[in-house]
Amino acid sequence: MKKLAYEKPVISKITAGVPNKFGLPTKLKTISAIDGIAVEKLMQEYGSPVFVISEKTIRETYADAKQAFETRYPKVQFAWSYKTNYLDAVCSIFHDEGSWAEVVSAFEFEKALSLGVNGSNIIFNGPEKSADDLKLAINHNACIHIDHFDELYLLIKVTRELNKKARVAIRINLDAGIYPIWDRFGFNYENGEAWNAINRIMLAENLDLIGLHTHIGTYIMSANAYAIAASKLANLYMATHRKFDHWLKYVDLGGGFASKNTLKGAYMPGTETCPSFDEYAEAISNALISSEIPHENLPVLFLETGRALIDDAGYLLTTVLANKRSTHGRRTMVIDAGVNLLFTSFWYNLGIYPTRDLSSHVEESTIYGPLCMNIDVIRDAINFPQVKTGERLVIERVGAYNMTQWMQFITFRPNVILIDLDGQPHIIRKKEELASLQNFEQNPKR
Amino acid sequence: MKITGEIKISDNGFVFNSRTGDSFNLNPFGLELLKNIETGKDFDQIKNDVLDRFDIDDLTFEKDFYEFCALLKHHQIISQDDPLDFK
Repeated sequence: MKKLAYEKPVISKITAGVPNKFGLPTKLKTISAIDGIAVEKLMQEYGSPVFVISEKTIRETYADAKQAFETRYPKVQFAWSYKTNYLDAVCSIFHDEGSWAEVVSAFEFEKALSLGVNGSNIIFNGPEKSADDLKLAINHNACIHIDHFDELYLLIKVTRELNKKARVAIRINLDAGIYPIWDRFGFNYENGEAWNAINRIMLAENLDLIGLHTHIGTYIMSANAYAIAASKLANLYMATHRKFDHWLKYVDLGGGFASKNTLKGAYMPGTETCPSFDEYAEAISNALISSEIPHENLPVLFLETGRALIDDAGYLLTTVLANKRSTHGRRTMVIDAGVNLLFTSFWYNLGIYPTRDLSSHVEESTIYGPLCMNIDVIRDAINFPQVKTGERLVIERVGAYNMTQWMQFITFRPNVILIDLDGQPHIIRKKEELASLQNFEQNPKR
Repeated sequence: MKITGEIKISDNGFVFNSRTGDSFNLNPFGLELLKNIETGKDFDQIKNDVLDRFDIDDLTFEKDFYEFCALLKHHQIISQDDPLDFK
């Protein structure tokens, strides 16, 4: 006789008086395959946990963003934000699509050069640029975005020493009507500091001012903030022309577009609330086109969006290690991927899904990582079905920042796999091993 | 291990605790287990019956059973006079 299907016994307390506007989905989403390859197959071949990146999703997302801007504004150039994900294979896809490189350190600069990016197609941002870094950028004719006056004067000194011209822009911080105002980077617009910097640069023999840059924040959920920022850059653009009879070449609106992840504490899910590329493009393009800049002198619009272009393409595949009950009866689960791999779990309620249909009964649960550290919490509250140990789970939208801000802690960082356009998986970063880590160490003889 | 006197269990899996005012839902298998506990069956009797009828191994069931009992105890649905009384 065929035996009955077993389902774990469950009791759940009925909580009245706490209405949930959204209710519970009748069926939890499952992710059984990525670009046609079964999750189970990937994990058997490449281990657990394992990061998986979809080239198809990267290219489709990039195409969406490009179309949104290019159908609204005549001159658009994307620059790939290296710090968001600087794996060679990922950067190469963006460069293949036509992106320049946007780097914030000499390390990233050299990485871009090693990938064949022409130095003049590198934007060098960030507050940390040594004299040697500036020499590297000048010698490769990069666009140096000056962050502060000390850097400006150091740059003047370096160009004199080299007797070479530097192509420069300034980073500007401004009030775009959002909180918090990022005023730690660049020169302030409202108090005239940015205008002073422009005047000083225009007087410098060896500096060729070619652009204006702002980056108003991160995960900006108001497209209108970009319109305000673009208008202020347009004002400086015109003021520079009026005073110096000099047309700048570009304005750079930076990044900060939200991905579809849900921020911790958000009332609504990110998929419902985050502006689309079209909304950002509409706000920025309208502000520039309707400014007093003559149409024949409109600057190239640079965009350094990182998160919104790569987050959706990244998955982390993980395995359930244990199910537990807290002393308060709360269900908890331990998985084999911790916060050392998922820096963004500190900001987002990451989406975690099973690979197959499980029980329709869900229970509010806490999901812990495997680290022997109390802070290793991947989700502090998620409605999740009962799962057995060994069950495979998929964490989605982890393409941005995790593979650059991860840390080697307690265990090795895992394989990173890229699934190419033909549906073939490739290891693009090998799992670490003891020898690769000990290679950096020296143990003094005693 | 016995079900406390204030507990009422309906046939559709609704449980009410008149002492605390709390109410609960059971899934079908949870209801079956609670009914078995109510009739005074011990763990071995329940386990043998479950293993005969369901597609499950003994260790997984044992783990699930004791987790379920821990929750019942937490919600004051069953009481355990002797904390060392494992079953």
